[in-house]
Amino acid sequence: MNNSCRDCGQSGECRLPPGMLEQYDLGTPTADGLMIWLEVSRHAGVFLESSSLEILSKAREIYDGRIFGVVFGDIELKPLYAEAFSYGVDTLYHVKDRRLIDFHPEAYCESMKEIAERINPSIILMGATPRGRETAPRLAASLGAGLTADCTELSIEGTVLRMTRPAFGGSLMAEIVSNSVPQMATVRPGTFPLKKASGNTAGTVIYRQYGGNSFKTIIGSEKRYSDEKDITEAKILVSLGSGIRNREAICIAESVAKKLGGMVSCSRTLVDKGWFPQIKQVGQSGRNVSPEIYLAFGISGSIQHKAGIMTARKIIAINKDPDAPIKDIADEMIIGDAESILKELDRIL
Amino acid sequence: MDTLPWKHGGKMRFVVFVKQVPDTSAVCTDINGNLIREGVPSILNPYCESALNMACGVKKDGDVITAVSMGPPQAENALFRCLELGADEAFLLTDRAFAGADVHATVRTLSAFVKKFIPDYDLIFCGKQAADGDTAQVPAELAYMLGCGQFCYTQKLTLSGEWKAVQNYGSEVRECIIGKGDLLSVSDEEIGFRLPSAADYIRAAGIEIKKLNIADIGLDTFSVGLKGSKTKIVSATPSKVSRRGAVTDGSDPAKAAEHIRDAII
Repeated sequence: MNNSCRDCGQSGECRLPPGMLEQYDLGTPTADGLMIWLEVSRHAGVFLESSSLEILSKAREIYDGRIFGVVFGDIELKPLYAEAFSYGVDTLYHVKDRRLIDFHPEAYCESMKEIAERINPSIILMGATPRGRETAPRLAASLGAGLTADCTELSIEGTVLRMTRPAFGGSLMAEIVSNSVPQMATVRPGTFPLKKASGNTAGTVIYRQYGGNSFKTIIGSEKRYSDEKDITEAKILVSLGSGIRNREAICIAESVAKKLGGMVSCSRTLVDKGWFPQIKQVGQSGRNVSPEIYLAFGISGSIQHKAGIMTARKIIAINKDPDAPIKDIADEMIIGDAESILKELDRIL
Repeated sequence: MDTLPWKHGGKMRFVVFVKQVPDTSAVCTDINGNLIREGVPSILNPYCESALNMACGVKKDGDVITAVSMGPPQAENALFRCLELGADEAFLLTDRAFAGADVHATVRTLSAFVKKFIPDYDLIFCGKQAADGDTAQVPAELAYMLGCGQFCYTQKLTLSGEWKAVQNYGSEVRECIIGKGDLLSVSDEEIGFRLPSAADYIRAAGIEIKKLNIADIGLDTFSVGLKGSKTKIVSATPSKVSRRGAVTDGSDPAKAAEHIRDAII
């Protein structure tokens, strides 16, 4: 086996003596603190992503140790410090580099690895956003940590983080623990409610520089933002499907959504028809949403669509077909014409 | 990571990692809450099929596409499908010791395989995620273990002087230059599906799927499978269906609308 490690097949020397299992090298007594990557949204200004704030809200509830935040970007992030501290961050690491304004997963991971090695956190969390789900595994591999993806529930017992996530298209809920430290998880956006920020806006900021050179060559980038927020953030979704035949129904749905303080979304059919942009699409090939109330007007409910709304608190389906598959997961199934009921709902609200 | 312009020349080696997944609509559990995989129809993970299609799309004469899967012996059905769809050779990493692997143990096995058997590969293709796990973690962890760059959510791969990947992050679509040895994680958009022809079936039938066990790959039993895993499933319970499923007649829109209003507020 000349020079390569017996355990992992990597060349060179491994950290552990031969025969020693990595399980035994827990390092649990020394690891402490919770580290969160605070994702920055750069759409019409600079904001902390709500997925990150939701994790902070949950972290404050279940964890009483130190909370470390990490942000990437340049000087434009300064106004965000106060918000981060008010949501419970004790120490904020700001990796300050103009080049890191763009998303470079390799560079982000190298930086976070250095920070994690310095603070030795017991838990590392980030949002299960597209970028979070790309960054977390690379970081986990570099730290030799276990990682649970897309959690919908977190709890802490002693030093053990218990992570719950849906599996098999949502038909099973799996509870998972990590047998190494740091314990890592990504959290599905929209699962945890945002807690009100505290008045505390002071904390420690530590600047760091990124010394590596793992940058991608980005030759073109097109932002596809709408002026509205993301459908994953809506508390109430008025969702339209193939049962909607008239395009005017979209305006009525917008009006209903506005009166309820929600947003309009749709199924894949209407995206294919060109009535909605893809960012409005609910389902596995669109967005997984978890609103308080999901109103499905004329949505039959494909498997992909059902998986995307599985974590919604309440699902009300309006469909003229009593056997539409969406009935399996609907709290309320109303058999009738989706368009006229939508119109009527707009009138009485 | 090598991001220098990298010319397409000579014979290329593409590796496509695929997974066989149970048809997620037909999964059940036994009394202990364990998954019953036996008897459930298995399919090639659709995202992996997209990855293979992308590799086939850029393949030129002389290039070799290697399909690799880790799983029980019957996972060779997924590899047969890959051969039919255009792969040139196939490896199945199969051993009792591999069972129960989490992402970490899986990636360790896959990266050890690549380092030992195909160290001179040019590009790796993975599906964005598996239909049964939905974790989408293997590609990025594998990229780190192999020390290469990662390009997730790739929906298009083009060659015009340089290799370029179009990545779709939902709110942003960007194009990056990829280098030799990088890894692409493929989402299914914008990739046309191709049906195998009779000639493909005949060609596939003549290719043997190479099976490798733990000793072939050169790993230790403690670093793979359940024993090499960093995470442990404590319990798996069928998700609580607390949905009431109340059915209401909505032939009168006004009444139905009132009913909805009452249900919301």
